[in-house]
Parts: sequence; structure tokens; C-alpha cells
Amino acid sequence: MTLLVLYLLASLDGALCGFRSSMGRYPYIHKIRFYAMAMLRGVLAAQIASCLSLFALFATVRASSDKALLRQDLEASAARMLLIFLPYAALVLLNLALRLVPSTDLRSGTSVVFLGPLTFLRPFVMIAGVLFGIWHAQLRATILLGLFVLVLMLSLEFALNIYNARIQERRIRLLV
Amino acid sequence: MFPSWNPSQPEISDLIVQYDAKSLARLSVSKAEILRVFEGFSNKKAVRVIEKIPTLDGLFDANAVDRLMLTVHWEMQRLAEEFYHGNRVLRILRATIDSLRVKGFSGPIRIVDVGCGIGYTIRWLAAYTNLPAEKIELTGVDLNATLVNEADRLARAESLPCSFFHGDAFSSDLAGQIYISTGVIHHFRGDDLAAFFRRHDSEGTQAFIHFDFQPWALAPFGSWFFHVIRMRTALARHDGVLSAARAHTAQTLVSAARAGVLNLVTGIYGAKIWNTPAPRVFHALVGFRPNLVKYVKAGLGGLLGELQ
Repeated sequence: MTLLVLYLLASLDGALCGFRSSMGRYPYIHKIRFYAMAMLRGVLAAQIASCLSLFALFATVRASSDKALLRQDLEASAARMLLIFLPYAALVLLNLALRLVPSTDLRSGTSVVFLGPLTFLRPFVMIAGVLFGIWHAQLRATILLGLFVLVLMLSLEFALNIYNARIQERRIRLLV
Repeated sequence: MFPSWNPSQPEISDLIVQYDAKSLARLSVSKAEILRVFEGFSNKKAVRVIEKIPTLDGLFDANAVDRLMLTVHWEMQRLAEEFYHGNRVLRILRATIDSLRVKGFSGPIRIVDVGCGIGYTIRWLAAYTNLPAEKIELTGVDLNATLVNEADRLARAESLPCSFFHGDAFSSDLAGQIYISTGVIHHFRGDDLAAFFRRHDSEGTQAFIHFDFQPWALAPFGSWFFHVIRMRTALARHDGVLSAARAHTAQTLVSAARAGVLNLVTGIYGAKIWNTPAPRVFHALVGFRPNLVKYVKAGLGGLLGELQ
């Protein structure tokens, strides 16, 4: 269950990374389809990260001499990570939900006061979440696996940004 | 104060693209000359941005500059979207247009977005409102041909009922009844600001609505933080923060407007959030024909400051 929640959070993070990294790169007025595709790309990138993580997890379990202890250690670490990730995700979702309120000031306020700073905090929250999760881990395998997943998730927005920047550059070169 | 926040200096984008205001011909710009301007302000950040722009024989490569300007303006549109700028402009425009109609102005009304860039505001109005069906002509004018061409291309691609022109917004063939702008007026300093407002002082002008950053103590810090998070190009980050630092106070704007435009009453619109002391990021300098004031006030309520 804990791993499933982490997987869902990673997919949500991927969607939002896809959205953010595509913003400011498509100057049309109607762009729901563009953003939908960008978010799908983000979700897909998160699936790749999740698959790599799952592969690493299986490999670790396979190589472990005490599979029961490893499983228990991994679950305890993942549960601790959720203590950091869930409130952060809830804050993000709450601010996105506030954008449904038909008030121009409130909508733009969520960007300036909350979503902007929350975006800024994202890498720090990820590092804090993983470190908090693996801090009390008993096995080195759990620590390494946690760090591996951290690197993957931190690379997500970076990779999407590079991808979207290339597309944007190509579009602009067609114009000038 | 950080050297890159010094309001006495121009923005990089003001200098790397230059057009002759009369002939509209593109002028060649020397990189060394522009570098000297910012070295004079000890602005290393600006120098680093400029150094990266390619040159041909010491002059900025026009294509590279255009690509950079398009990238920056695409990115800036994101800010307008996040601030729901289209909705903000529409609210005051709606009240202005309604007041004109109530006063018997039944003919076509041309709205001119001065310094429209890639035309986000006008394209948004064309896409999301019924204004064109109400005999409202939506136009944007800019001195930068590349940006105007881009605005035109984007409007055509989405079949939006609006048009864009390369030229002088106040010239007889492009002039309108309502002038609007966003983030433009802080580019005019001293005598140029008064001269800008004098250009509004014509028989045809019924109103103007010029949105710009609202200066206050934390504005440059807020702008810096927002640009670091949201903007990717170094030029956009530099000029965006400097814009907030260079923004004119309400008092400067209102006195310049009152000195320059004699046949319109002027004031500030939308300075505070929900009648609290909290300032909005943008406020607007507005001007209306005196006979419209009663109706505009009725449409906008407390958002409109004192008009004189």
C-alpha cells in the first residue's frame, strides 16, 4: 500500500513537472491539448522512473539474504517518506483546487504566494523526504535504493526541461 | 542595492534591439557600446547576458537577437497567464466600453495595445470575449517588427479577430479611441514619460488604461524570487526584476499624465487587493473623458481611485 501511494505521488509529480516544464514555451491562447500532452509526457517519464525503481527493488530483494527483513525495512522507510511527501502534495493540490474559485486575485495569488514557493521547495522536499525515510533504515540496501529513487525523481524535471527546451528552440528557429 | 536593480539604467531589451522611430528601419547595434552602458552601472549580470549574444563584425547578430526576444516574450506570456491578465484588462475595458455606449458612442471603437509585443492581451480578448461582435476593433502596435509578426502569426493560426501593426500607435492611421498597455510605461523616463502622455491628447482618445508594476519596498525582492522560479532565460530574469525596480510611483504617473493629457481625467485603478492595504503586483494608470467618469465609476466601484 505504501509503495502504491509513493508510486501515485511520483506519477502526480511527473504530471506537474511535465506541465511546468512546458509553460512559457507555446505562445498560443488555446493550449489545453498542448498542456495535456505535456502532462502525459511527464506521467510517462515518471513511469520510466518508477519502472527503473521497481527493477532496482526486485534486484535488491533478489540479492538479499534476509528478504523479510529487507521488506520490513523498505516499508518502514517508505512510510516515513510519506510523512513529508503527503502534506506537501496536499498543499499543492489544495492550491490547485483554489484556482477553481472564480476570483482573479485568489487565482493569481495561489501562484505568487504558494505554487511558486512550493515549486522552489520541491527538490528540497524530495531530499528531506528521502533522507527522513532512510535515516533510521537498518539495511544499506534500503539506503542505496532510497538514494537511487531520489536521483531519478530529481532528474525528472531536469530531463523534461531539456526535452521541451529543444522543441521550443526548433520552433523558434523555424520562425527566425 | 544590487547593481542589476539600479533603476537609473535601461533594460537590456531596450538596447539590443533598436528601430528608427520615424522610418521604422532596424538599426545595427554595437555590442561594445551596449556593454559599456552596463559596465558604467557595474552591472555584471547584464554584462554576462550581453556577452552571450552572438555578433557579426562587432554588431549584434539580428537573427540571434530576434530568437532571444521571441524566447523571452513566449516566456513572459506565461506571467500574463499566471496573473490572469486578460481577465483584469477585460474588467476595466468592459466598464469603459459600456460607459462609451451609454454616452451615445455608437460607432466602432478601436482599442490599441501600445507596445503589444507578441500581442497576448489583444489575442486573449479576441479569443475569450464578444468584443469584436460589438464593433470593437482589437489592435496591437509595436515598434519591434519581429514581435508584431509573431503576434500576427499567432492570431492567424488561431483565427482570432484582431490585428497587429508595426509602427507608431498614435499615428493617424493606427490611432484609436482606447489605448491600453502592459509593462510599457516604465520604459519612458523623465521628459519621455510626459511626451508619451502628450501623444494621447487628441480628439479621438476617449480613454487609456496602462498597466504596469506597482512599486513598493518588497516588489523587487518578490519579482526576483518569482523570476528565479518561473523564468528560464537570463535576459528575462534580469529585465523582469529591473522592471519592478524601475516602475514609476502612482504619483509620478498621475502627475505626468495630468500634465500631458489635458482633456482626460486621470487616476490609478486596482492598486490594492480587496480594499486591504496589500498592494497588487500591477496597478493601472487610467484616463477617461470627463463625461464617462460617472459610468465607469459605477462599473468599477472601489477599484478605481480618485480621478481628476
